[in-house]
Amino acid sequence: MFRLRLAPLRAAVLLAVGFVLLRVVYRVVFGGASGAGAVIVDLPRLRLDGPFSHITLFGPITTLGLGNAALSALPVAAVIVFFGLLNASINVQALFTRGAGRGPLRAISRSLVIAWATFPALVESVRRVRVARALRGQRSIASLLVPIFEQTIERALALAAAMETRGFAATGIVAGVCEAPVVLAHAMLDFGTDDRATDWHLDDLNVTLQPGTLTVIIGATGSGKSSLLHSMSGLFQHFYEGTQRGRIDIAGADRATTPPRDTAGFVGLVGQNVRLAFAAETVHDEIGFALAVRGVAPPVVHERVLEVAARLRIEHLVGRSIEQLSAGEASLVAIAAALVNHPILLLVDEPLADLDTAARARVCAVLGQLAHDAGVCVVIAEHNTREFESITDTWLRIRDHSLHQVTLHQVTSDDVRSTAATGTDVTARIPTLPEVPLASIRQLSVRHSTDLVVSDVSFDVPVGDLIALRGSNGAGKSSLLRAIALPTTTDTVIVSGSDVRSLKRRARRQAVALVPENFDDLLFAITVAEECRRADRGRTGASTAQTFADLLGLAAPNIAQLLLRHPRDLSAGERLCLVLAIQLAARPALLLVDEPTRGLDRAARALVSAALLRAADHASAVIFATHDDDFALGLATRTLYLQNGRLVAPTEVLS
Amino acid sequence: MTSAATTRRSIPWTSSVLGGGSALAAAAFAWPFFVSAVPADAQVAVPIVAFALIPALIVALALTLDREMYTAKTVALLGVLSAVGAAVRIAGAGVGGVEAVFVLLILAGRVYGARFGFLLGLLTIAVSSLLWGGFGPWTPFQMFACGWVGAGAGLLPHRPYSDSRNTAGRRWPARFEIFVLAAYGVVASYLFGLMMNLWFWPFAVGTGTDISYAAGADPGQNLASFALYSLVTSTLTWDTVRAVTTVVGITLVGPAVLAALRRARLGPRR
Repeated sequence: MFRLRLAPLRAAVLLAVGFVLLRVVYRVVFGGASGAGAVIVDLPRLRLDGPFSHITLFGPITTLGLGNAALSALPVAAVIVFFGLLNASINVQALFTRGAGRGPLRAISRSLVIAWATFPALVESVRRVRVARALRGQRSIASLLVPIFEQTIERALALAAAMETRGFAATGIVAGVCEAPVVLAHAMLDFGTDDRATDWHLDDLNVTLQPGTLTVIIGATGSGKSSLLHSMSGLFQHFYEGTQRGRIDIAGADRATTPPRDTAGFVGLVGQNVRLAFAAETVHDEIGFALAVRGVAPPVVHERVLEVAARLRIEHLVGRSIEQLSAGEASLVAIAAALVNHPILLLVDEPLADLDTAARARVCAVLGQLAHDAGVCVVIAEHNTREFESITDTWLRIRDHSLHQVTLHQVTSDDVRSTAATGTDVTARIPTLPEVPLASIRQLSVRHSTDLVVSDVSFDVPVGDLIALRGSNGAGKSSLLRAIALPTTTDTVIVSGSDVRSLKRRARRQAVALVPENFDDLLFAITVAEECRRADRGRTGASTAQTFADLLGLAAPNIAQLLLRHPRDLSAGERLCLVLAIQLAARPALLLVDEPTRGLDRAARALVSAALLRAADHASAVIFATHDDDFALGLATRTLYLQNGRLVAPTEVLS
Repeated sequence: MTSAATTRRSIPWTSSVLGGGSALAAAAFAWPFFVSAVPADAQVAVPIVAFALIPALIVALALTLDREMYTAKTVALLGVLSAVGAAVRIAGAGVGGVEAVFVLLILAGRVYGARFGFLLGLLTIAVSSLLWGGFGPWTPFQMFACGWVGAGAGLLPHRPYSDSRNTAGRRWPARFEIFVLAAYGVVASYLFGLMMNLWFWPFAVGTGTDISYAAGADPGQNLASFALYSLVTSTLTWDTVRAVTTVVGITLVGPAVLAALRRARLGPRR
């Protein structure tokens, strides 16, 4: 409640001094500084006319006049300083955190808590977008503000969905029946549009899931894995404005009429990109959120938080702030937060997308345990199937607008087919190795505050190379790529004979261009066509729209529809191709791509892999970072391994 | 949530509380002009009443709106957007008081309606004051004035607006909308300055100058004094900078921000 911060007091004192000075100025200008005492300056009086005839400007200025003016300002100045003192000593934030759980101002109090928790994210977002802007070579205000704003809105929606499923603002809480976690009978899902030929829909869904089982929903991106999952969480019907026909019963509650907030007591949801959806500032409050919004007494909340944390063996994280979590830890915290009500049904949306191999194994083990030891009905939407092979009881595949139960054999045979398909692409490409390298990286190191994240990396890039940069999470892949694209030390990155550090914006982009992991940060227009136009600006003969069509493997006329859309309405694969096209507009000698397959399904990965091969025709060499084994093997002519910021093992050349 | 949808859903008494509260608050802002109408004995109490009335009204209106805003999406958007607003305001204070926060208030008020805009104005000032430590007797007045800026944008008439994906087809209405919002931004910037000057004028100038507030003088003279005070204090300087920033901001980022807000449209509570 009380604490001491000097900044507000200092500001208040400055303000008070300013106030006193201002009042003196008013007196001097508007004829109030005369009076007894010695005359300092004798300014001529100036009488105004019209409606202002009662006002005289200037006049003699006397010592006493000035003194009086300053004295008369002191009471108000004192009030300003007094409030400065209050600001410096009272922690008002602690007050509204208390009001967020209950009481008549809980909506506004909760908004304030969220605003507070948003600040660190906002600072991070500004940092990220500034990098993205430099990468795109943009300097307009819109290129900074629009991506930040889009990220903020994205956070708001993720947060809202998470709050809704955890019982925020619940009014008609219902009780769940353990025996029948999920029953879908002749259910149909769509978004209320009549044009069923072109629009997304799922027909005739008949599924019954038992307690203590683990089900994985698979299907291509855009096939509706998430929508199907959220038809069970209720977000599809009550948040994303989808339409449900037929019957969906979740632990006995009719999903069509029961919003997610009322079933929070027995349905847990771990959303995509868990970090966006954290509603509290500490791990403890995050795990206890669902209980706190129900008005459960704090000691009980504390006990339950510890119990759930112990179950997932993350007790050591409970005291931490949300920002300090790694990707794997964040996933475990989100699972713990979904478990705090002891759900009958646990829904998990793409839990593995951001994780490295070790974290994936940990999350899969936890989910398997929940299903088979704790008797929870676990449903997962995911396209990384391999990790789940040993623990999955039921596979559901979405294909052609309907849902089929498939066997593990059918799932794995699809995998084999897809790797064979990418394998053929590579043979078409014959690496040429001339004597002078296109680019040389010389003793490149990157420091984040005190940590050395990239240490003394040197290698050459010959023309025609397609290099895969591999390594686990935190090995320094992204930092290395960013340092190559935007070097901060001279003579560390040489492309086509010139030092990239010394190049101007435009020339730098012709030497090297990077598509960062968060490629959406580069987009800031409201149509795809406008993005392409901006990329073309100042470059004669460039046609980004044409490149975009190339990368997608489409003829230019076929993308007319795509060009009219909002860039953020495109699918992830299409968006990546758009950003690739934008970055290729400057015709860079060296193209860098960070994690191009993150969160993409097999079809989209094939699209991106083909696009990278075509991009290699637009640039002279490509380096891409990935932790996707199949993708790297199928595409790269050479692989570099990074471990703790160092290149390890001699680079291996694939034949 | 369009403003039309809001009125349809809301209980009539909410509207009257909001309207009545705003009218009372406006009277409290204009207290220097009401003093002469009050019996001489009570005149000393007028500024104190005005100062107590504004925070009380804020609490009353917040209580009225709180129930209506109690959905996950509204609360999340309100929280996140007021953080953005506060950040813009604090960042602006660092670069010579360039007030860009109106851009956000106007665009969000326009898309999510007057009530949301009003609350966003309140919360933006509250959050930035808490963060920066600038809480004081002036804060409630700023909150109200900013709330009105957001609410006003929500009350602007809506043209029939086609929601089709075809952006080229609605280019003209979209440009017209930006023009209207920018024009509103100019009006709001100057009105905001006038409102803020109005209640503070007697304190800023004190007594003993020719533009001082004179309790006994006729309203015409006070009005002229106030006009001159306002002109030299903020209208020519801060308000003009604010108006220019708002117009530039709405023109540059308006279309993209409106699109982002509309894509996240607040669904009706079901």
